[in-house]
Amino acid sequence: MKNGLIKTVINKYAIIFVLFGLVLLFSLLSPYFFTLQNLTNVFVQQSYVIIATIGLSFVMISGGMDLSIGYQMSLVGVVTAILMKNIGLPVPLSILLGLLLGVALGLTNGLAAITLKVHPLIVTLGTMTVYQGISYIASNQSVILNLPPSYKAIGQGYIGGIIPISVILMIIVSIVASFILSKTSFGRYVYALGSNEEAAHLGGINVNKIKLIIFAINGLFAAIASMILFARTGSAASSTGPGTEFSAMTSAVLGGISFKGGEGKVWGIIVGVLILGVLGNGMQLVGLNTYAQFIVKGLVLLAAVGFDTYQKASAQKASIKESTN
Amino acid sequence: MENTTILSLRGITKYYPGVVALNDVSLEFRRGEVHALIGENGAGKSTLIKIISGAIKPDKGLLEINGKQYNSFDPFHAKQNGIEAVYQEFNLVDSLSVAENICFGENNGFLVDFKKMYEKARKIFEEMQVDIDVKAKVRDLSTAQQQLVEIAKSISRNAKILIMDEPSAPLSVSEVRKMFEIVRNLKKNGVTIIYISHRLDELFEISDRVSVLRDGQYIKTLETSRTNPKELISLMVGRELTESFPQKRGTIGATALELKNVCGNGLKDISFTLRKGEILGIAGLVGAGRTELARLIFGADKLISGSVLINGKPVRIHLPVDAINLGIGLIPEDRKRQGCFLEKDVSWNISISNLRSLLKWKTVVDKNKEKSLAEDFYDRLNIKTPTLMQKVKNLSGGNQQKVVLAKTLATNSDIIIFDEPTRGIDVGSKQEIYHLIRDLADQGKAILMISSEMAELIGLSDRILVMYSGRITGEITKEEFSQDRILELASGLN
Ligand SMILES: Nc1ncnc2c1ncn2[C@@H]1O[C@H](COP(=O)(O)OP(=O)(O)OP(=O)(O)O)[C@@H](O)[C@H]1O
Ligand SMILES: [Mg+2]
Repeated sequence: MKNGLIKTVINKYAIIFVLFGLVLLFSLLSPYFFTLQNLTNVFVQQSYVIIATIGLSFVMISGGMDLSIGYQMSLVGVVTAILMKNIGLPVPLSILLGLLLGVALGLTNGLAAITLKVHPLIVTLGTMTVYQGISYIASNQSVILNLPPSYKAIGQGYIGGIIPISVILMIIVSIVASFILSKTSFGRYVYALGSNEEAAHLGGINVNKIKLIIFAINGLFAAIASMILFARTGSAASSTGPGTEFSAMTSAVLGGISFKGGEGKVWGIIVGVLILGVLGNGMQLVGLNTYAQFIVKGLVLLAAVGFDTYQKASAQKASIKESTN
Repeated sequence: MENTTILSLRGITKYYPGVVALNDVSLEFRRGEVHALIGENGAGKSTLIKIISGAIKPDKGLLEINGKQYNSFDPFHAKQNGIEAVYQEFNLVDSLSVAENICFGENNGFLVDFKKMYEKARKIFEEMQVDIDVKAKVRDLSTAQQQLVEIAKSISRNAKILIMDEPSAPLSVSEVRKMFEIVRNLKKNGVTIIYISHRLDELFEISDRVSVLRDGQYIKTLETSRTNPKELISLMVGRELTESFPQKRGTIGATALELKNVCGNGLKDISFTLRKGEILGIAGLVGAGRTELARLIFGADKLISGSVLINGKPVRIHLPVDAINLGIGLIPEDRKRQGCFLEKDVSWNISISNLRSLLKWKTVVDKNKEKSLAEDFYDRLNIKTPTLMQKVKNLSGGNQQKVVLAKTLATNSDIIIFDEPTRGIDVGSKQEIYHLIRDLADQGKAILMISSEMAELIGLSDRILVMYSGRITGEITKEEFSQDRILELASGLN
């Protein structure tokens, strides 16, 4: 019986052990890895990915998908920079407008998915390309340099000289999202949609309304992620942002968000992102080149998914044995 | 020939966390017999047949088929030995055609010969005397039609042992008769049929022997001709239980729901009234439009013309959420697709339609309130589960149905539409549910009850409407209730 309990704990929190394992491994391989400086670095580098992934998870848990978050980030970042630099609006106002733009882009995705009645994967494949086009037209394919220092602080600043602002934002977003998903009625509806949309509809859930809110949240989170990323870069180019959708998808799956929907937790997402982040950082320190890193990251994903399936299949067997004893 | 044993089970035991689903069960099945398997919800019937069909493996015990012994079967092995199963839950591929589903997994060639496939499917349906388009997609079929496809699928494989787990649940009287015709034919050809049903009248009509399970234990096997419903019920439940319908104690009040010349969703010119305290039964064959009517009232499908009045006031219902806000509740017919969230736990399922009344600070779900709501229904409906945190997919079919009932009843609606409320529910629990429905009516709620079970319609309704092909063909008052009258109107004969 006790044995079984330990087994379920290991299964449930397997990815945490993977993360610790990686940290241990790289600590042995590189003396620089386990330093406060480097670990802070990992968190700063990954904070925007965590925020974007959490946004995407709302969509994925509800049974949808969003391929466009990378270009949402690109467009939001470029427009915010234009508002600050070219038009000369105050920084806070520009940020506010940028966040609103994020919400609008998310709502557009949601509206399109609802009215076209097509899976959001296809819809966002389309909007992704549209957002890309708009972003490049807006930036005129050039880089907007020297963003205002007060803006750059979002990505580069520290509070009290030690805690990075981006990490604080990440923590706030995580707590808020976790609260929404696990405690509120809205959170329940998100899971309900992903578990059985027809039953949710007949159970009195306004499915379309919930979907719109989910996409709006996703847009908002992508915009926050965009602010951190662009502020850290210090300049704005349309090529910044794209690619995040794949890191986010990979991390989400690593973190236990299933493609079918209906499942997943915020802590899992954070661990998922950190696994990829630690891998990237560690391999850099060890001296593996970027392309070798791609291969390793891809294999890790496959291993994680494979393990997940295997574990689900064997969970039943394990519990049967447990009750026989 | 008559009495040769084809399959025997010895000491079959199966554990699940917190439950012993089967405990040392030994049983024998003979060639060419219809062997009924009965027991309360969660007694272990489905578990037993899944072990026979190789879907799951027993923890202990032996299976003996054609003189050879095995510790367990796997699905391939079972098929090789001529074992086919129609499961309680459908196993069809929604997006494929009827014919493709019937011929699924038996393509020997590289390319699919569609012509041959359609031909084969058509022939089977002809033999079964049912009329289903073999090219239609399964997802566009009604639940009853899907069940017929399931049966056709098993027959097409030339089974030696055919297992049917509650095959009649989604069917109405005339389809059940057709199915019995099929079963008798198979029997004549020496096929053994293992038949699970909660409808005792059916098993007296079709079975040769009947075995009773209770709480995972084997109780007894009897010759059907030498027993009676009363004996079977007391063996199943473990105590005396008289089958009876609750008496009406309340009075019938003002009109709660009125439909005037409603059209849409295949319905033509539907008008009727439903009053507070009344149980209005809706009878009809499959395809008569009963479920369509329920969905239309509930806002799940579009109304084209006509009007709906609640308490005398015209209302517009565009979505189920509008209906719920207006005090209408629906218990849908297909629990797996429309009713429950299989991957979520029992208490989550019961509370999901009712979160608004479980909130604190208008946003946060109050875990204590949620727990007491779930516990309340767990007691009232006698849901069999080790804990309220059990995933619904791990409950037996009948207990899943109880969760769906609980989910809708928790919304405390004034008008409640039951679409086949006791589908898959055992005799004892049926009585409880009948009392529950009657109590709701006595409290002044208006009840619309769609049912394919004659006894239930006649025993519980205060009035019955009969539908045929999208229309109401007649209204029968309590004094005139009779099976013949209902069937006559239901087949559109006048
Ligand atoms: N996969 C599973 N995991 C855990 N428990 C299970 C699982 N499958 C079945 N059980 C439990 O085993 C018991 C027997 O279930 P089974 O489905 O065989 O009942 P049944 O006799 O078919 O009931 P019903 O008439 O409601 O269909 C039930 O208590 C059920 O909750
Ligand atoms: Mg069953």
